[in-house]
Amino acid sequence: MRDIAMTEAAHASIKALIREKIKYLIPMTAIYMVSFIGLTLLADFAKDIVGLRVIEAVNLGFILIAFNYLLSWVLALVYVRVANNRLDPLAAKAASQVMAARAAR
Amino acid sequence: MITISIFLLILLATLVITYWAARRTSTTADFYAADSKLTAAQNGIALAGDWCSAAAFLGFSGLTALYGMDGAFYALGALVAFCTVLFLIAEPLRNSGRYTLGDVIRSRMQTRTSLLAAIIGTIVVNFAYLMPQMAGAGVLVRLLTGIPYNWAVAFVGAAMIVYVAFGGMLATTWVQIIKAVLMLAAGALILVMVLAAVHFNPVTLFNDTEAKYGAKYLLPGNYLKHPLDQVSLGIGYVLGLAGLPHVMTRFYTVPDAKTARRSVIWVMFLAGLFFAGTTIFGLAAADFVGQDVIRAADKGGNLTLPLLAQYLGGGKGTLGGDIMLGFVSAVAVATILAVVSALTLSTSGAVAHDFYANWLKQGKVEGRQEVWIARISAVVIGVLAVVLGILAQGVNVAVLVILAICIAASANFPVLILSLFWRRFNTGGVIGGMGAGLIAAVVLAMLGPAMRGADAIWPLVNPTVASLPIGFLGAILGTLIAGRDKANEERFDDFSIRVHTGVNPN
Repeated sequence: MRDIAMTEAAHASIKALIREKIKYLIPMTAIYMVSFIGLTLLADFAKDIVGLRVIEAVNLGFILIAFNYLLSWVLALVYVRVANNRLDPLAAKAASQVMAARAAR
Repeated sequence: MITISIFLLILLATLVITYWAARRTSTTADFYAADSKLTAAQNGIALAGDWCSAAAFLGFSGLTALYGMDGAFYALGALVAFCTVLFLIAEPLRNSGRYTLGDVIRSRMQTRTSLLAAIIGTIVVNFAYLMPQMAGAGVLVRLLTGIPYNWAVAFVGAAMIVYVAFGGMLATTWVQIIKAVLMLAAGALILVMVLAAVHFNPVTLFNDTEAKYGAKYLLPGNYLKHPLDQVSLGIGYVLGLAGLPHVMTRFYTVPDAKTARRSVIWVMFLAGLFFAGTTIFGLAAADFVGQDVIRAADKGGNLTLPLLAQYLGGGKGTLGGDIMLGFVSAVAVATILAVVSALTLSTSGAVAHDFYANWLKQGKVEGRQEVWIARISAVVIGVLAVVLGILAQGVNVAVLVILAICIAASANFPVLILSLFWRRFNTGGVIGGMGAGLIAAVVLAMLGPAMRGADAIWPLVNPTVASLPIGFLGAILGTLIAGRDKANEERFDDFSIRVHTGVNPN
């Protein structure tokens, strides 16, 4: 019986980990998708907006391209922080429970 | 002469490394995954070497020089693609697989049919990618050194066979690292020289090129002319990278998910900075060298970066110009070697590990024997690539580059992501997704402008915007038609534990 309870505890920990992943990863994925795909749609359908001159000959399109570079790098660093501080401890807890349940069988 | 001398030095270094790596390569884990002992920095730099093909190293600056903003979109997409890999793919792949994408599908579905689908997906994408690389190598080496096309293709093939067959993943990794370091050094040098030439005010480049080529030059749509081309390219990139087996196998060379994660950060900063640099290089080349000179050297603009380097070094006929041209050209050849080696290694994994050991022999193969099969496969694949490369001379291979990334996004990506995260996904779904995505991508690319030019029946060069939804639809319909697979759904709990923690519950 003990191993069944331990297996259930492990499954609960995995569910908590997946919930936490969804909480961060879905918004973060949405952000870069909307920003990058949105920019390609602007380039396809709103060339006059993309062509607005911002700094002399540098137009809004190039500014948004630069913004997307920065956004990718910032999101990557945010993800590493989230993964190190929130996801890894949950994953470590789940992993140790899974191994304990396996050993109890 | 300078190009060949510099290149021979690089070649010598890679051969010494291959000799060293061959002595450390005996087990399957060594051959396919460098025994999973690489550090995050090593793997991240190798990833940069793996992902930046000649199309990135030479093509992005060329497109920017000739077509303005569209070139910058290609470069940006190549970075953004790693967000998908970082958030959704890298760590689950490291946790759930061993050497290949086939491993992930096989351990999820535990059916031979689904493994076969994964093998087909891997081999088709790899060959679609490998063929234009070989053809490109032939053209490039001929342009840069004067060696005839056929000899250049044969030489590139011979080098990649030696790296992969003898040194496996360890040699391939170090070839990629050497190439990436040289590429980044060349990029940094050119960037500093360009910025110095415009007194550290890059806006000058925009003002100059606008004055020379008109306001339209800095607008989108000069290269990607159809209204849906940009978005289709964007989707293809952002989801296609995750379906490229030769890049994804790099995540098996590190010990754990945390190292896989840190290696993505390395590649995003190193390769990302280089990609951003290519936009500056393209504008600088259009400004300093001029579009006419670039077009005269190569219609597609592939010699933009070598020409810019020559200009910055002092111009044609000067010692500085010759050295810079030679350096950048040698790095371009090294770039091709690094990418074709990775493709050959990944394909030999699909043949020896997925097909021979796990499909045909159902796992009942000794490790030593499997390594030999993998080495022999690498030789056969290499020879086949040379033959195809020679046959492809003068054929329009651009459609194949588009096809490779489009199939990766439309067939491999849906099957991979649904295998990792969808409980009900089953073997029927693997077949449906792989089949629908593959057929849609091939048919639409063949009917499109890259193949048929003005007679195109389908308007888009890159069909991903249509074929990717078709791939997902095929995967979902296949799953529903095949019906519930209760045993598979129950196994999903255990599989999911592996995906998210790396621990095997059984």
